Amino acid sequence: MTYVIQLRILAYSYLAMQQQFTGGVISLKMSKKIPGLQCVRQSKSPVHRQRYVLKPAQTPIMPSTSALSPSSVSLAATILLIQSLRAYAADTAPEQEILQDFPVVLSASRLAQPISEAPNAMTVIDRDMIKSSGFRTISDLFRLVPGMYVGTQDGHSPIVSYHGATDQYSRRMQVLVDGRSVYLPPFSSVDWEDIPLQIDDIERIEVVRGPAAASHGANSLQGVINIITRDAGSLNGMSISANSGERGINDVEAHMGKAGETLDYRLTMAYKSDDGYGTSVLNDHSTTRMLNLRTNYHPNGADSIDLQLGYSGGVRGLGIQGRPDTDPYRDTFTTNAFQQVKWQHVLDSGDDVSVQYYHIYRDSSDSAPPGNTLAERHEAELQHTLQIGDKNRLVWGGGARYDKTDSPMNVLIPYSQYQTHFFVHDEWRATGSTVLNAGAMYEEDGMGHHNTSPRLALNYHLTPQHTLRASSSVAYRSPAIMEENANSSLLGTPPAWYSLGGLRPEKVLSREVGYLGEFVPMNLSVDARLYSDQISDIIYVDPISWRNFPPLFLPYSQFGFANLMDANLRGFETTVKYRWAERNSLILNYSRQMMSCAVTGTLTLQPLTPMLQDIADSCTASVPWNSGSVLLTQQVLDNYLFSAGFYYQSEMQIIQTMAPESRMQRLDLRLARTFGDSPKPGSGEIAFVVQNVLQDNYTIYSAVPQTTNITFNRRAYIFASLNF
Amino acid sequence: MTLSVMEAGIAQPLNVSVVLSEEGGVYQEFADALPRSLVKHNVAISIVNAGQPFFPEPDLIIAVGTKAATAVMTTSTQPVLTVLLSKETYEKLQRDPLKKAAAASAIFLDQPIERQVSLINAALPNARHIGLLYSHASPDLRTLRARATEYGLVVHEQEVTASNPLPTALQETLKTSEVILALPDLEVYNASTIRNILLAAYRSRVPIVGFSASFVRAGAICAVYTTPAQLATQAASAVKQFAENRSLPAAQFAREFEVQINAQVAQSLGLSIPSSAEIKSKVRGDR
Repeated sequence: MTYVIQLRILAYSYLAMQQQFTGGVISLKMSKKIPGLQCVRQSKSPVHRQRYVLKPAQTPIMPSTSALSPSSVSLAATILLIQSLRAYAADTAPEQEILQDFPVVLSASRLAQPISEAPNAMTVIDRDMIKSSGFRTISDLFRLVPGMYVGTQDGHSPIVSYHGATDQYSRRMQVLVDGRSVYLPPFSSVDWEDIPLQIDDIERIEVVRGPAAASHGANSLQGVINIITRDAGSLNGMSISANSGERGINDVEAHMGKAGETLDYRLTMAYKSDDGYGTSVLNDHSTTRMLNLRTNYHPNGADSIDLQLGYSGGVRGLGIQGRPDTDPYRDTFTTNAFQQVKWQHVLDSGDDVSVQYYHIYRDSSDSAPPGNTLAERHEAELQHTLQIGDKNRLVWGGGARYDKTDSPMNVLIPYSQYQTHFFVHDEWRATGSTVLNAGAMYEEDGMGHHNTSPRLALNYHLTPQHTLRASSSVAYRSPAIMEENANSSLLGTPPAWYSLGGLRPEKVLSREVGYLGEFVPMNLSVDARLYSDQISDIIYVDPISWRNFPPLFLPYSQFGFANLMDANLRGFETTVKYRWAERNSLILNYSRQMMSCAVTGTLTLQPLTPMLQDIADSCTASVPWNSGSVLLTQQVLDNYLFSAGFYYQSEMQIIQTMAPESRMQRLDLRLARTFGDSPKPGSGEIAFVVQNVLQDNYTIYSAVPQTTNITFNRRAYIFASLNF
Repeated sequence: MTLSVMEAGIAQPLNVSVVLSEEGGVYQEFADALPRSLVKHNVAISIVNAGQPFFPEPDLIIAVGTKAATAVMTTSTQPVLTVLLSKETYEKLQRDPLKKAAAASAIFLDQPIERQVSLINAALPNARHIGLLYSHASPDLRTLRARATEYGLVVHEQEVTASNPLPTALQETLKTSEVILALPDLEVYNASTIRNILLAAYRSRVPIVGFSASFVRAGAICAVYTTPAQLATQAASAVKQFAENRSLPAAQFAREFEVQINAQVAQSLGLSIPSSAEIKSKVRGDR
């Protein structure tokens, strides 16, 4: 009897020991050469390499050893306990390699819709295209989007717009950086050079060509620019790079990052400087210092917390020759900072919930008009993405936004607004070849307007490679604070800008049919569409007093804003991509645009209405009828990459500018030599970029007579980067 | 003859002890499924956890999982059928000098490499450049290397070491691969690493072929795997054979398998892959 009990104790002790060993106490590798034990390592990883289990033969205890005493069992148990305390892991039997549970990573919200199933036409600009283009500013990249206009008021004030209705405060697109909306009050415009973001930190840019309020939020009247930056965990190591070239181009940037087990980060520091157009007519030099940090904490499979911080501060030259009173040569200072945090939680079902909050602060100080302007934005948003069966993916959510601006020379007193919104969007795979996207956004814009922006799109796959799309959507643009509340009393009496208020939001009804084709054997893809957009209630300048004498729009009249015009935009856009080797590609974009406007409102000074008709008539010429681009990338030898970008835009004249912009035929060339095995230490690149090689010096956007003859001339710079 | 006697209930039942590495989970799933395939047979099944004594003395032990297999094979002399462990682990146990089990066999948990290659061919027929990440060269990897040309594949492999950490190795693999074939390797594919692997591969638009349903749910494009119930059915036929002639079939891979696809990931990557049923029948046909 005693004997039996003893055996049981032994058996239990042995098995307890087995369990502890197989429980990852020590990772061992059995070697034929070494008959004993070989401790491979005690990994810091919660999972262990377990090639083998420690055998009792190598321990003082063996079930078959009859001379075993209880004391030796307890001694062994103690040793095992100590060893197990040293160990990390929970029980990881070898079969757990296969049987382990993985968290859902590519959750419903992380999976991007393929372009062939998206409800809008979309252009994606990826890192390869960014590199090939040779552009050193973000705004220039939009030259690669069919139908998009990229202009410059001066060397540091780019203008980006889509399908006309353009001016220096282009404000009819939603612009997002990682879900953070960066068009700011009081003008609802984007200061492209201010965003604390380096071009090299961009993973890709999705440009939604058409209104997309249901999926991208407010202000997406004509489209959405959705900039997605590189993940916190995308960079391991450090790199520095620099540009140096004509017209004072001097940029330096440093990147460092690490992808850890639960914490990833990347940090960018940059200095960017140039002399602008280098003309004696304009003071447009600029210097910007920038810092951007992105960290991601993912303590487990289900949760991910993304934190981003950014700062940019700069000195900008402003002033136009011959305007000493209104626009003297001077330096202005800008600060732009943001904090953004997003918590994403993946549910067991693979659905996910995310909560995001961000804050943007922008401050620009100028001794001359428009003077000091402060803008601040807080926004919080909740989003829930659900996969419902195999056929439906539903996204719904809502948020609130608080905007504040203090710009005394423009709007006299500080203004703030609360905007709230709610959105729902469903992607329904109705049949194997049909995808129906339906959604809407409801917003209360903080000015008393309640807007509902629906969108409906049907994508029909003729074959998996060929898709037809028909879509229709409605979107609104709420008046900018400046449009609703302009009051420049500080600059003189009566104020030159004085809004009577009561504006209605601008509205667009957009309809399109599109085709997407993949010609797999030829490595060719085609994206084409015909569109018709009706914009109504366009907010335009309204002369409200002729105390200072007409004619309209000369200085010292008094102006406000009113809903005055409708516009009809029609056109055709296409992108053709051809790829004939891993790094060799050709991308062609073409856009044919037609625009017409009609006067629908009444000027405060009714007798001036015929003059408004003249303005409406001139809108036909305010879009380039033909525009396009060609981007060619060709690998030469092993280490050389040649690329050429050609950009064409027919003559056009934005309403109210002083002169037409001449036809643009611009050729940019880039030749790069790579060395080492990127991104490994010691690798890098040296590149030579020439912009406007053919010296077809086209004129730029000009709002005053003094700048009508400024041209974009040939310029060159050298780029170098090193990873370490 | 024997069978009819057993069916008549005259003979003593065959005593089968199922030894579980752990309670619950897939081990329990196997144990629950086994009797269902043996209802009409004169088999008495007792389920014990690894470490518990057997009573009565079993005619056949089914060891479920490595822990149970190790314990049983080194302490017991009865015939053992091991299940829910990989071929590699089983072969190591077979070479163990402490092995006591007279007769041992196995139904492996892992899939034969040919089946995984068939899966790639069926699901992603255009993929030829296969990326592999590993911390140690498994037999599967060696087979794949040796037979790549025969399979019509080009293998791009990266060993994960201290000087070539996972993120670097992954980036290298993604540069050249059209698909990554994940071979089970705890140092490469585990709950902590899977996030960055799947996100980086997705960014590069490179699908990953996983090795379990859970991996597919996480974001792999497809996987071939065998369920505990399928293993139990196969184990039951081994039990039946043992009841007839007291011999176990040779160690073997699972005959039955499932194919799981992640249609959402495929759609998002713009890949049109066949249904799991179509892939399954193609893989089966290749066998």
